[in-house]
Amino acid sequence: MSAPVTTPALAFAAATVGYGSRVVVRDATFTVGAGEFVGLVGPNGAGKSTLLRAVTGGADVLGGDVTCLGASVPSMPDRERARLVGVVPQTQLALFAFTARAFVEMGRHPHLPRLGALGPTDRAIVDDVMARTDTAHLADELVDELSGGDLQRLTLAQALAQEPRVLLLDEPTSHLDLNHALQVLDLVRLLADEGMAVLGVFHDLEIAARYADRIAIVADARVRPPAPPAEALDAASIAEVFGVRAVVRTDPVTGTVAVTPVLRGADLAAIRDVPPVGLVCGSGAGASLMRRLALAGHPVFVGALNRGDVDYAVAEAVGAGRVALPPFGEIDDAAAARVAEGYAACTHIIVCETPFGRANLPNLEVAVRSGRPLVLVGSFGTDRDYAHGEARRLWDEALARGATRVDTEDEALASAGAASKEA
Amino acid sequence: MTPAPGISRRVLTLAGLGAALLLAIVAGVALGAVSIPAGDVVSAVTRALTGHSGGLADAVIIDLRLPRVLLAALVGASLALAGVLYQALFKNPLADPYILGVSAGAGLGATLALAALGTSYAARAVGVPIGAFIGAALTMLLVVRLASRRGRLDPTSLLLAGIAVSYTLSALTSFVLVYDRETMTSVVFWMMGGLQNRSWEHVGMLTVMFAAGSVIPVLYHRELDLMLLGDERAGQLGVPVERFKLIALASASLVVAGAVSVSGLIGFVGLMTPHMVRLVLGPRHRMLLPASVLAGAIVLVIADLLARIVLAPVEIPVGIVTALAGGPFFVWLLVRKERGR
Repeated sequence: MSAPVTTPALAFAAATVGYGSRVVVRDATFTVGAGEFVGLVGPNGAGKSTLLRAVTGGADVLGGDVTCLGASVPSMPDRERARLVGVVPQTQLALFAFTARAFVEMGRHPHLPRLGALGPTDRAIVDDVMARTDTAHLADELVDELSGGDLQRLTLAQALAQEPRVLLLDEPTSHLDLNHALQVLDLVRLLADEGMAVLGVFHDLEIAARYADRIAIVADARVRPPAPPAEALDAASIAEVFGVRAVVRTDPVTGTVAVTPVLRGADLAAIRDVPPVGLVCGSGAGASLMRRLALAGHPVFVGALNRGDVDYAVAEAVGAGRVALPPFGEIDDAAAARVAEGYAACTHIIVCETPFGRANLPNLEVAVRSGRPLVLVGSFGTDRDYAHGEARRLWDEALARGATRVDTEDEALASAGAASKEA
Repeated sequence: MTPAPGISRRVLTLAGLGAALLLAIVAGVALGAVSIPAGDVVSAVTRALTGHSGGLADAVIIDLRLPRVLLAALVGASLALAGVLYQALFKNPLADPYILGVSAGAGLGATLALAALGTSYAARAVGVPIGAFIGAALTMLLVVRLASRRGRLDPTSLLLAGIAVSYTLSALTSFVLVYDRETMTSVVFWMMGGLQNRSWEHVGMLTVMFAAGSVIPVLYHRELDLMLLGDERAGQLGVPVERFKLIALASASLVVAGAVSVSGLIGFVGLMTPHMVRLVLGPRHRMLLPASVLAGAIVLVIADLLARIVLAPVEIPVGIVTALAGGPFFVWLLVRKERGR
């Protein structure tokens, strides 16, 4: 079965864009189809906005081509292009006191004849886009007195009044509160579902992942091929492009990518080359302490953890020593031996407030018998023992061997500082 | 949802301003060193229009007072039109032909033309406006060039460059005058902004230049609105920005050249009038343009009237009257802008 050949609504074909002789992005090649929402993400200054501006003449196409419905954009008359491409720029100036309605009506400009005024059709379109952007009630307000958020929604209305086939958004929600941001993006998503091609620049990776069909990363003067959010925004790409170690998972509520930044690359580089602090953790009980230890410059060893466990993802992000288990896998003898080796090298071992079952019990067992100083966080109630009393026995054994018991994570962190001074 | 009522409000406002201009013109003709009853003014004009010849009284009205008052109206209209254009193109409410140095450029061009063309009346009638236009256009290019940094036009730089260029060109004009004493006598009063001894030929010439300079602004009033949103945004909404700027600035230079050729350097009318009109009627050029043109005409007819009667029988150059009112206004605008930040 061969897919029908359709002309993409917007296409960058080996396009090199920049200003004058200065190249900002080289050889960009990607398309945005009708009905598709593509997000551009990347570090500041990577050239995301320049790519958008190249479509409407604000930046130069220095090589290759940018086409809209098959026609080359740089050589298109401004008026014709304005009937095809609408833009919502990052910030909109409003130094002059137009009414909001007059401001939106300006979007009809490319459709009006030289001497003609707005007709009934034009007015109906303006009514419609103001209703859809929730700005109808602002009609008689003066734009130079409105908030940034109102102005941003009016600018979207203005762009929609152009009845464009392609909509370009440059951080369309930068001035919007949470409610209006979601409202605007829901609307843009709906427009895409109705057939508009949308290309949007986003700083917020989660927002981009939530609304875009595909995401292209712009970095080092290149555009990576757009891919579905979960593929484009994996932890490795985020670390490489932004220099940030993050935990990337699927948000249980939205079902889309959720990105939790853990450390910056610079923090990771500042971790000292000393014996690690051991952690017995799992199910997220050690996530926060792991991050704080890493920020304080301590290397960490976490024993054996299942891939998919939050603590495993955090351990990966902070570069903690770990023994990887498959999801729901148990600790076999070989793994237990490696865990024992790891804990033996630690200055001391902190047992976090994690529940224990048969799967992770060996971590605790090895830690308690490692001979290293132990710090036990919290108390041990029945709600933490799913190992038929085994875990309870190990806890008591640890106390009998002289383990320190602390109540809070802060105290545990302080113990790490003290231990590393002794070492 | 402002269809029909908006149109009628616009027509009413413009009709009101038109009527006010007519009243100002009648007052301008009637009042002076010798006052003439308004009724006589109307009947003299009627007689002239119907081809009947009147007496000496009619000659004073038709050949002396009327062309002068009409010129004042045309000059005021031209300066206001140029002010509207500059303020839209530069998105700067402080821009006007005088502050941007364009008037001084036109003045230098006209002076050089006068000095070069000798005393031939015909050569002067054609050469002076052309010299003024070339001077205005070149000055505009120079000021924009000086105020641009990497393709961006900084509003403060624009004003500073305009004022600096304006002083330099005025000094050059004075230099030409000192060097060429024969030209000097005919130019000095004109340079201060005066409307004395002007004839119907001047009215005809300025009418033509004003009409020619109005074509683009009238046809492209929507583009002027869009320019207020910034060059890039105007482009996104379909305006061929660079080309439009060029033709609009050429139109502005044309009307400034016309105004300066007949009346020398008259400041602040192009600044004050569009600004006041915008405060009252809003920034849309469909309204702002014609209303500012009418208001500019009214302002200068009244200013010229004051110039003639305040110290009568001595006349003050009208440029002094507008500067007296406009200087403080400019300061007020600057202070307001600073506080608004």
